[in-house]
Amino acid sequence: MSQAITKVTGTIDGRGFSVPIGTTLLEAAKSLGLTIPTLCHHPGLPADGNCRLCLVETGGKLVASCLFPLRTDGEAILTQSPMVLEARAFTVRLLLSRAPEDPRLLELAREYGTGPDPRLADGADGCLRCGLCVRACRASGTEAIALVGRGRERKVTGPFFEPPIDCVGCLACARVCPTGFIDFSELPRSIWGRDFDLRPCPQCGRPVGTPEELRRAGVENPLCPSCRRLSYSRSLMGLPEASFSNPGER
Amino acid sequence: MRLLDPSGLEALRVALAGAPAPKRRLWVCGGPGCLASGAAKIQAALAAEVKAKGLGDGVGLRTDLTGCLGLCEMGPMVGVEPEGYLYGNVTVEDCRELVSETLLAGLPVGRLLANPDNPTRSEQPFYQSQTQLITKRFGKTIPGSIEDYLKTGGYAALGLAISKLGPLGVAERVEASGLRGRGGGGFPAGRKWASCRLAPGTAKYVLANGDEGDPGAFMNRSLMEGDPFSIIEGMTLGAYAVGASRGFIYVRHEYPISVERLDGAIKEAEKMGLLGHNILGSGFSFNLSTVEGGGAFVCGESTALMASIEGREGQPRVKYVRSTEKGLWDCPTLLQNVETWANVPIIVERGPEWFKSKGTKDNPGTKVFCLVGQVKYSGLIEMPLGSPIRTLVFGVGGGTKPGRRFKAVQIGGPSGGCLPYSALDLPLDFDSLSKAGAIMGSGGLIVMDDISCVVDVARYFTGFLMGESCGKCAPCREGLTLIYRILDDLCQGRGREGDSAVLEKLATNLARTALCGLGQSAGNPLLSTMRHFGEEYLEHELEGFCRSGRCQGLFWPDINPNLCVGCGSCLAACPTRVISGQKKEPHRIDLTGCVSCGSCIAICRFGAAKAIRKGGSQAARQADHQADLADPSKDAPKTNNIPTPQSVTKDPTQPAPKGGGQAGA
Repeated sequence: MSQAITKVTGTIDGRGFSVPIGTTLLEAAKSLGLTIPTLCHHPGLPADGNCRLCLVETGGKLVASCLFPLRTDGEAILTQSPMVLEARAFTVRLLLSRAPEDPRLLELAREYGTGPDPRLADGADGCLRCGLCVRACRASGTEAIALVGRGRERKVTGPFFEPPIDCVGCLACARVCPTGFIDFSELPRSIWGRDFDLRPCPQCGRPVGTPEELRRAGVENPLCPSCRRLSYSRSLMGLPEASFSNPGER
Repeated sequence: MRLLDPSGLEALRVALAGAPAPKRRLWVCGGPGCLASGAAKIQAALAAEVKAKGLGDGVGLRTDLTGCLGLCEMGPMVGVEPEGYLYGNVTVEDCRELVSETLLAGLPVGRLLANPDNPTRSEQPFYQSQTQLITKRFGKTIPGSIEDYLKTGGYAALGLAISKLGPLGVAERVEASGLRGRGGGGFPAGRKWASCRLAPGTAKYVLANGDEGDPGAFMNRSLMEGDPFSIIEGMTLGAYAVGASRGFIYVRHEYPISVERLDGAIKEAEKMGLLGHNILGSGFSFNLSTVEGGGAFVCGESTALMASIEGREGQPRVKYVRSTEKGLWDCPTLLQNVETWANVPIIVERGPEWFKSKGTKDNPGTKVFCLVGQVKYSGLIEMPLGSPIRTLVFGVGGGTKPGRRFKAVQIGGPSGGCLPYSALDLPLDFDSLSKAGAIMGSGGLIVMDDISCVVDVARYFTGFLMGESCGKCAPCREGLTLIYRILDDLCQGRGREGDSAVLEKLATNLARTALCGLGQSAGNPLLSTMRHFGEEYLEHELEGFCRSGRCQGLFWPDINPNLCVGCGSCLAACPTRVISGQKKEPHRIDLTGCVSCGSCIAICRFGAAKAIRKGGSQAARQADHQADLADPSKDAPKTNNIPTPQSVTKDPTQPAPKGGGQAGA
């Protein structure tokens, strides 16, 4: 195929771009060094388009840039038009009602000149319902948690609103959470109301992961990442397996 | 019997059409409303009476349940063939008489006639303005009987398609017909078909959307229960045209009878070789099954519907690639509303030119409407597209109830729009409605009269949509709640200055930012009522006044002595007993002790009880009384047709509310 067919061109805020067909608008903007605010987007996870913060204008309409595929030439996209700015202020105000103390949202609120709506104050629990945690859990093959319920009652939980029995304690959900809503402890390991054991590295004794997590990854008794690196480089250099067990020696 | 080729089908059709018809039949309406008010019991009682009298098929007398007869207001209904008498409000006790008088002797039973002035169906204005294409078998066939379907022209289209037209020919006919999707948006079906036909991929699907969830809507249900084969034949033709071999009919969980009828019809069609492997020897195979929804309104949205069929949570996804390219299980998918599918056999059989002769140029064909609300004759109505709203509301529906004035009509379900009196001459078609700020939606028309408060109506619809919001995207999840709360504040007299402006802005942004079509249109009831009745919003916001007498505490009731006939209804309805007056003398309200509930206003059939401003002057009140008299009666019968006090207790046009609720919503 010639390049003319595989590439698509257009403008974002007047600046030209040329990207492979199917590139999302968000990626194209990034390639131009433009920032579009996002909350429910994570480059490592499938996009969902639910927070509606990344909406930009094209053809008189707003589209979610994290999902909009660039497929036709000549798209003239605006990321700072009055319609976009008004929509962002509207969305930030609504999201802020859920997490009124979140620094990132507060900064967005300042930027777009809005604040929380007092008539929605009762929903402020800190969770934006963006579902990044659910997507992270699913992507890692666990699916222990889900967004449950309709409308404003919707929330992240394990089955039957109980501690999720399939949770492996990997903390992936907590790491991607944009507001730090998910309560967890790294050492000792606990999350979603469940406590987990931690298996030590057979060489240095530092905690590697929970047994459930390691079983899911198909390894029972692995080395910690540092010891694994060390052991690998020793084998490359033809040295014998490390026999020390003193972490200080690494 | 399995049909092996189109000629076998044709021979069977001819044989069935030539078979002797029963001498006389009683058709009991099996529509949703009538069933809810006991139609099945009536049919059973009729059948038992026929058996007891020793009458049976041998004598050619039959009683059967059929599809919706349409005039739901008068349900349960019974139609008589061939005389055409139409009975309403039939009870089990009437069955003996119906059998002995009508079924045996062919005489009408006067007291049961739905309309004593026009005893037969063809004489009634309710039916005269209708054009029945989709609903033509209602009242004429047994819905689950494939023989009845074949006898009335069924499967002629499929025979023609396989013997003459071929897949491309079918697609071309549909495209040339200009058929538009009946599910709401009115997207040209031909374009959808072409896109799906040309999409690469060997596995393709055809889907029917029967997830009708609008309050007050029952047209899809009536169709699935009244003529399931027309949907099945339409989908078979669709699958043949686009090259699909698998189809699903997605039916709302709350419609168990629809599921049962469709499942039964699918089995019948399979037995005859009209579904399944190698249909009519053409080499084309098509398997069809029903999928029962999970009970979420949002599953009527195309992407949520597909997610639900796939076994996932019924939630919409962002749709920048059409489902005709990437739909169910990421395969090319042709999704149409059940009513759209029911149009397909008609178009294929009669040809696009004939179809285009109905309706208007850009909106050919007919549409099935559900007329409900504060109208004399609510029911299921099929009209050519482009008919004026007035014809529906006042011609077919008989206008508002006695003493009431027409205020607005909500078109297109909860996310449709409210149109005022001035829009009554608007043609009912996709383009005119969307230009006026409403939508065709699935075709629900809810008529509101002068005691419906638009703010309260907007609150009701917003509340419905808020409860049905799936909660995926922030604008719909949080925004609808905020809109609802502000509307609730207005209705409870807690409005704040500037609320109307805030609401308008919220609804506008909701429309722009929500993820799916349902969220984007969820602000419509608010925006359209605000556009046409903005002053009522301002009255709620600034004065705490509800002119309709609906929002409790935001008005005082007042009786206009010039209009009050002293019927005593309000006196009886008042919960705090503050109304006094002699029979046939104007009544009076003592406001001390009045809780401003509006019961007197709601019950008054003469337009005499009215809401007035709290703290308004006596002079203003009297001027109001005079103005009321002078006001040209906006189609609401004021001088003529006013019921006399004697007729108040028993008015033939005002049957007692029957169960079911659908039609009475």
